[in-house]
Amino acid sequence: MADNKDLDTTGHKWDDDEGFPLQEYNNPLPKWWLNSFYATIIWSVVYWVLYPAWPLPDGFTPGTLGTTMRGEYQKEMDEAKAKQKVFNDKLDKLSLKEISKDNQLLQFSISGGKALFGDNCAPCHGPAGIGVKAGGFPTLADDDWLFGGDLDTIQETITNGRNGQMPAHAKAAGGNFTDAQVDDLTQYVLSLSGKSTDKPAITRGDALFRGEAACTTCHGDKGNGSLKGTVNGEKPPQVGAPNLTDGIWLYGGDQKTVRESIAKGRMGEMPAWGAGIKESGRQLSALDIKKLTIYVHSLGGGQ
Amino acid sequence: MQHSTIEKSIPLMAVLTLIMVSIGGLVEIVPLFFIKSTIEKVEGMRPYTPLELKGRDIYIREGCYNCHSQMIRPFRDETERYGHYSLAAESMYDHPFQWGSKRTGPDLARIGGKYSNEWHRAHMLKPQNVVRESVMPAYPWLQENELKFDDIEKRMKVLSMVGVPYTPDQMANAKQDLAAQASPTADGAGLTTRYGKKVPKADFDGKPEKLTELDALLAYLQMLGTLVDFSGQQAKAR
Repeated sequence: MADNKDLDTTGHKWDDDEGFPLQEYNNPLPKWWLNSFYATIIWSVVYWVLYPAWPLPDGFTPGTLGTTMRGEYQKEMDEAKAKQKVFNDKLDKLSLKEISKDNQLLQFSISGGKALFGDNCAPCHGPAGIGVKAGGFPTLADDDWLFGGDLDTIQETITNGRNGQMPAHAKAAGGNFTDAQVDDLTQYVLSLSGKSTDKPAITRGDALFRGEAACTTCHGDKGNGSLKGTVNGEKPPQVGAPNLTDGIWLYGGDQKTVRESIAKGRMGEMPAWGAGIKESGRQLSALDIKKLTIYVHSLGGGQ
Repeated sequence: MQHSTIEKSIPLMAVLTLIMVSIGGLVEIVPLFFIKSTIEKVEGMRPYTPLELKGRDIYIREGCYNCHSQMIRPFRDETERYGHYSLAAESMYDHPFQWGSKRTGPDLARIGGKYSNEWHRAHMLKPQNVVRESVMPAYPWLQENELKFDDIEKRMKVLSMVGVPYTPDQMANAKQDLAAQASPTADGAGLTTRYGKKVPKADFDGKPEKLTELDALLAYLQMLGTLVDFSGQQAKAR
């Protein structure tokens, strides 16, 4: 080791006490590495010319290619639009009924609607509209509708939203009825689906239901709901009052929940996807809503 | 200068390193303070209302940013799901901003108005009751905890020191505005004059008798991304 003199070193020497110093070779950098390094420097100059690079006091050097993040984005969007154009143009022109009769367009709408549904609708209505555990969010995969399950009504519901209008009845919640009266009403409502046998309470509740509380105005003479029921032979106002006789419950059919619905009222809210949230830049286009309508209609309950 | 000269003198190398790094930093950072277009001007931005501000504090306290970003990037797969890509101006009153870089949950930059208050209540109580596959933890205490807002004026004052344009009028009426926003029946005239007509006013937590932390958090969530109106103008490509 002592005869290292012919080697090119940096001249540093450590630990020379025993005649075996540590020395540092002054090796040249590998050629391939050095060349790659120079190449990257040259590339950076090319990059400055082609792409936005240097900040300036009042802007930046834009680059000769004119590349911008937003431009790239717009291109991406335009390409997607162009690809879907053939189908979208047809969807635009045809009515919902016509679309649902054309198998190809139907499939196109359903796959588009499915993607839209997944993020926008599934949080409340569950995947594929099978409903969620929490009360107040209608299941879409069955044929129990509040406002109607035909194509046009579904489209209307998605576009403009819906608001529940069940008023509070208990005095404590701003209504006009005593706790005992609310109990009677509860028993009567439960009896409509065979869940109560408390005859005296049912009779009192029945009288309230068609009398003072005027539940029939929206739920119909027989409690069949605004969609299926009738009041004096006429259709009740279409306010989404549920059918109370079918054993399907929006908030829950146990005594406690039914009582709460009557006592405190229910103000379920379906956001308006076509207009109401337009300002946040995330509203659904008329075309998207058409696809969603077709998809929701196909979930099992479409009429 | 020989490479070996630099290598053998630590002070010289430190000075030269400092100079190099400074140049890089100065060129990248300094122009940002002078460029007019760093934050493009958009219509509609306003400072947070007192209730939203408290909600934002709770958002930060609960660490929501650990799983939720608030930054929609300009890619089709993002905007198709979340809405228009985020603009710098939309977080100009955020101190600190909540852009985030981790999405265990979805982006929340435009969650405002997307779901009903009732959904948010059910969701905070137990997320799996509405989204069965969710891994989000439950936050049931938000609906129980009374909202403490004694310090709201101070908070607004500090924010105004770092550039949020709160007016003396807004600061003086902070407590009153805060309570008014969480109650559909309260007189909200002052609130709307000070913060605009679009301020959502509701009993967010479903408990009209109590002002809870959930009121504040939902007021904040329900306004996220709703201030700038994208329906007419398309932000200019740049």
